[in-house]
Amino acid sequence: MGFLAPWFMGGLAALSVPVFVHLLRKHISIPRPVSSLMFFERGTQSSTRHRRLRYLLLFALRFALLLLVVLAFANPFVRRAAADTNGRTLLIVLDNSFSMRAGTRFADAKQKALAQLAAKTHSQKAQIMAFGGQLEVMTQPIDDDAQLRAALESIQPGDGHANFGELGRAIRTMSETVHGPIDLHLFSDMQHSAMPANFADMVLPGNVTLRLHPVAEGVAPPNWTVESVDAPAELSDPKDPKRSRVQAVVAGFGTPAASKSVSLLVNGKVIASKKVDVPANGRATVEFAPLDVGYGFNRCAVRIEGGDTFPADDAGDFVVRRSDPERILFVHAAGDPRSALYFDAALQAAAHASFVLQSVAAEQATDLDPSKYAFVVLSDTVVLPSIFEHALAQNVAKGGSVLIALGTDAAHHAQIPLWGGSAKDAHDYARSGSVATVGQVDFNYPALEQENPGRDNGGWAEVKVFYTVVVDPAQARVEARLTDGTPLLLEKQMGEGHLLLLTSGLENLTNDLPLHPVFVAFVDQTARYLSGSERLSGSRLVDSFVALRAAADPVGSVANVEVIDPDGRRPLSLSEARTVESFRLQRAGYYQIRFADGRDAVIGVNPDRRESDLEPMAQDVQQLWSGSSGSGATQTTDAVPVEGKTRPVSLWWYVMLFALVVALAETALASGYMGTQREEV
Amino acid sequence: MQRFLDPSVLAGISSLDLLAKTVVDGFVAGLHRSPDFGFSQEFAEYRAYTPGDDLRHVDWNLFARTERCYLKRYRGETNSQLTVLLDASNSMQYTSGPPMKMDYARYIAASLFYLAIHNQRDAAGLIVFDDEVREYIRPSTRQGQMARLFAGLERAEPHARTDFAKPLVHFQNFLQRRGIAIIISDFYEDPETIVRAIEPLRFHGNEVVLFHVLDPQEIRPVMKGSAVLVDLETDQRIEVVPEYAKTTYRTKVDAHIEELRTRTQAAGMDYQLLTTNQPLDAALREYLTMRKAGN
Repeated sequence: MGFLAPWFMGGLAALSVPVFVHLLRKHISIPRPVSSLMFFERGTQSSTRHRRLRYLLLFALRFALLLLVVLAFANPFVRRAAADTNGRTLLIVLDNSFSMRAGTRFADAKQKALAQLAAKTHSQKAQIMAFGGQLEVMTQPIDDDAQLRAALESIQPGDGHANFGELGRAIRTMSETVHGPIDLHLFSDMQHSAMPANFADMVLPGNVTLRLHPVAEGVAPPNWTVESVDAPAELSDPKDPKRSRVQAVVAGFGTPAASKSVSLLVNGKVIASKKVDVPANGRATVEFAPLDVGYGFNRCAVRIEGGDTFPADDAGDFVVRRSDPERILFVHAAGDPRSALYFDAALQAAAHASFVLQSVAAEQATDLDPSKYAFVVLSDTVVLPSIFEHALAQNVAKGGSVLIALGTDAAHHAQIPLWGGSAKDAHDYARSGSVATVGQVDFNYPALEQENPGRDNGGWAEVKVFYTVVVDPAQARVEARLTDGTPLLLEKQMGEGHLLLLTSGLENLTNDLPLHPVFVAFVDQTARYLSGSERLSGSRLVDSFVALRAAADPVGSVANVEVIDPDGRRPLSLSEARTVESFRLQRAGYYQIRFADGRDAVIGVNPDRRESDLEPMAQDVQQLWSGSSGSGATQTTDAVPVEGKTRPVSLWWYVMLFALVVALAETALASGYMGTQREEV
Repeated sequence: MQRFLDPSVLAGISSLDLLAKTVVDGFVAGLHRSPDFGFSQEFAEYRAYTPGDDLRHVDWNLFARTERCYLKRYRGETNSQLTVLLDASNSMQYTSGPPMKMDYARYIAASLFYLAIHNQRDAAGLIVFDDEVREYIRPSTRQGQMARLFAGLERAEPHARTDFAKPLVHFQNFLQRRGIAIIISDFYEDPETIVRAIEPLRFHGNEVVLFHVLDPQEIRPVMKGSAVLVDLETDQRIEVVPEYAKTTYRTKVDAHIEELRTRTQAAGMDYQLLTTNQPLDAALREYLTMRKAGN
């Protein structure tokens, strides 16, 4: 308590005025003569006493009024904790990633977060966020304790993978709009695997003070998990030894060498079990073959028997769809039987897909129905029967896909079938005496996907291209380019379907791609991508997205999509089911999905296996992180009370308000006193 | 006429003579015959001599002719006698605004004198008293009587306190002849005491009128807050609150006036309350009414 303008206290001298008027000044009453006191009586005592009381009350009010006004000018203040008054926003982030399901981590973290929220002063604003696979804002910065508490209580453990780099990016983005200081309290198990590759991603902006509240103490408990499962999403022949098998990797984190029993479950039934010796802190592969499953979707899982401290990650879910082999229509020019040969050979060499190639010349394709094929390949067919071209276009619009390969004939015809654009030119590298190689490849593209492409550009650097047709990319997406920048592979969306354009041929005349191993992978991935079978079954990671429909649906032909989550609930509302384009798989388990093109899918969703590594961040790293944020305040292993930083809060407004009340009371009392003098005659 | 009788207007007139003339000339004036017999020139009747009659009134001519002794009686024009008893105690100097009660009493007395002597040709006298008789001017119609009476009024300054008992003994000595006795006072005394003191005058055949002169503030006092009140006669001081003056005092004063009125009327006397803001005609009318009733 103090005064911001103490020199105004000199005004207290004014208090002498009411003291003089009420207490010191002698009451002078002039005697009034009357003819006789015969009828008068002495009746003063009670009245005078009553009036003195009123005078004293009036005096007290006047004294208080002057005192309050002087105090208001002197601007009194009280010191309050800076956390309340400095406009600091309390940001509580509760980790609800998959690893928080281990033991009592999540319950402990929530308890600590609630305690931290309870310690907040009533006026301080706070915001609640859940931090699992992605940062989820539960409340805006508010000071309603009940709402904050309810938001915190509503957070449930999730299946996502925490990434402190994502947290850092989100907070940095938030601090661009919230300019005041932020006290970030992170309640997490501080998993080491949640750290980004670059520590700089975790660094928080200057106005954010990070306080860590780790809930995982000591050494991480040993944990075995099914790290990965390699199984065919599509299976046509269970007896095919190459395809009908399941390979699972069992990994141990902080574990001693142990022999673990691993089971394969199909539709809830254990159909096979195997013993596997897992080295200390190591991995072991277990294979189940053949995979005998029935037609349709089969919900499969590989499970480690025996359990451990974190049983939630002891199983890996996947879905195998058994169906007859799908047919691919390969339309080629009459004089080009070679391309079909190469394509079919590559397709048969691929392990995962089960396709049968039907090769026809362009002239014979008139009566074919494209919808009966998984997808269509147009190999250097510049002229198609109009009926077939029309049917093909309609099929693509409904969700079908076409791979177009342009050979030497394409340059002679301006129009490319289905593509909508025209060939501008042709590069005949052979004629000029040089060859082109593949310069850029988008390895994230499903048809070209490679996890760790080698130095030889994933095998594409060896490919020599002798002849390409130059196509204006326009609205198409270029997935691969030659070294001179000429687009080699383009993709375009048409309705629900996809068009993939290879600006060179599939035979060995325009390029030597079919002679390279990368061709098999390319054909395999392209077939799976264009057939759509890839997305109908198999397994995904939590927080991955599933495209439910094409981006641009024509108005009037909107089809509903349907998603049923592992709990059997429909997470999409009716309006969302008509409009949403993609869906995030938030939960681990089996999702049933019906796409906009009418195809059904069942997908096994597994948590990110990095969550199974329960090893926390090193203590020095934690300190480095918290020390690198904001004011540089360090954190400890428990909730750290806010430092005794205080700031003055002016009370003049309250004092003036009180003075106003006193002034009104004084006015009422004084006017009442004056009122008795205005007696009626 | 009313304007000239307004006390506040009369207060601006310094001369009692002029004041009385102004008042009375504005008032109804007229001669009337006296019911009593006097000793002027107009013959009324003869009356047989009875021992003790004044021999000077015997008609000796008739006695010479008839040897009977008769008294000769005449019809007199002026044979009423007005005596004003003016209270000149200190309480009479109270005023809440002009005129002072004493002045108002002087105006009444002067007007009565003028009316009696000038218009009615009555004998008029004055007794000024407080706790004793301070001045006595014998009733007379002689030349200069008016001037003497006015001079007596001028000299009557408020002094001492009122005491009816003491001077009234003297009144009886002075008022041996029948007439009209007008007592002008504020009558701050117990009504019973007042009536008991004045009653003997009535026994002597006098018509007694009490002019009760009060200031309006004495009947309905207005007080702004409590005040210390000083008794003008006794110098006694007490603190009085407005609430009392508003309620109990008024009740008491009203009761006092009412009792005084009742008791005086019961004793065969007339009572007239006059406030200093009232015109003087009420007093003059009372006098004339009284005089007529006496005839």
